[in-house]
Amino acid sequence: MAVNYDPAILNKTFEITEPVEVEAEKIKRYCAALGETNPIYTDAEAAKKGPYGGIVAPPSYAVTFRNGRHFFDYVPRFGMRGFDAGKDVEFVGPIRPGDRVTLSSHVKEIYEKTGRTGTMVFVVIRSTLKNQNDEVLAHIDHRFMNRP
Amino acid sequence: MNSFEEINIGDTLGPLELFVSKDQCRAYAKTMGMGDGPGRFTDDEAARKEGLPGMIIPGNMSLGLLSKLVTDWIGSSNARLTRIGTTYRVPVQPGRTITLHGFITNKDPASRTAEIDVWMENEEAERLVTGTATVEFRK
Repeated sequence: MAVNYDPAILNKTFEITEPVEVEAEKIKRYCAALGETNPIYTDAEAAKKGPYGGIVAPPSYAVTFRNGRHFFDYVPRFGMRGFDAGKDVEFVGPIRPGDRVTLSSHVKEIYEKTGRTGTMVFVVIRSTLKNQNDEVLAHIDHRFMNRP
Repeated sequence: MNSFEEINIGDTLGPLELFVSKDQCRAYAKTMGMGDGPGRFTDDEAARKEGLPGMIIPGNMSLGLLSKLVTDWIGSSNARLTRIGTTYRVPVQPGRTITLHGFITNKDPASRTAEIDVWMENEEAERLVTGTATVEFRK
């Protein structure tokens, strides 16, 4: 199967989400769910003396921000079945409680791969996270695999 | 953690054995807004209907656990995890023991960064999730 799509969908922002506030309580629940005990993420007093001068979210918290609608509302789905193939995350700046975070997303790449189990089409969605001061917090490349 | 000067290619992170219970998996899914109603991350039956062997751990949770392996190694020093990339190879099932591993593959004195292979194995030593991470050591 050749991958057919309109190249105009590449590199075009398809969504900028409404800001989502980072609640201290949610960072706490996130840490608990991962078994996180590092004081720079969990202990306000200890974190004051740490590298960020206060509590920050663990870096992987960046992947918890989601598009408002599923990206396949904007992007062709190649085949019926698919799954999350992986993520590449570049951590740029710390995510702090009280930050208001937006996600700006575009299709970075669409490519085909043939493996043992047949042909797969990968769609890579790049999202940039910014805070209320327009500072970039992270870039996330999300690889989604579709099987025709 | 050791300073940039003290780490070497071939140094290991972990191995860290972990038992992620089904309840812990559900708690993660719930925190992330994926836990409303039965689904592949919360319910064995719903997961089987999707052709999975049973409940699975969200990819983001695996990414979080592997990031934690690296940030635990960093501790409270001012080194920083600047990048992680993960590939989900085999669905990860909760209610079993998994092991997290890391291995320093490269060290660049110019940028003061270390490249680390990270991966998650099941009890059969099958690599379920693989990835790479970059740590920057600030002066």
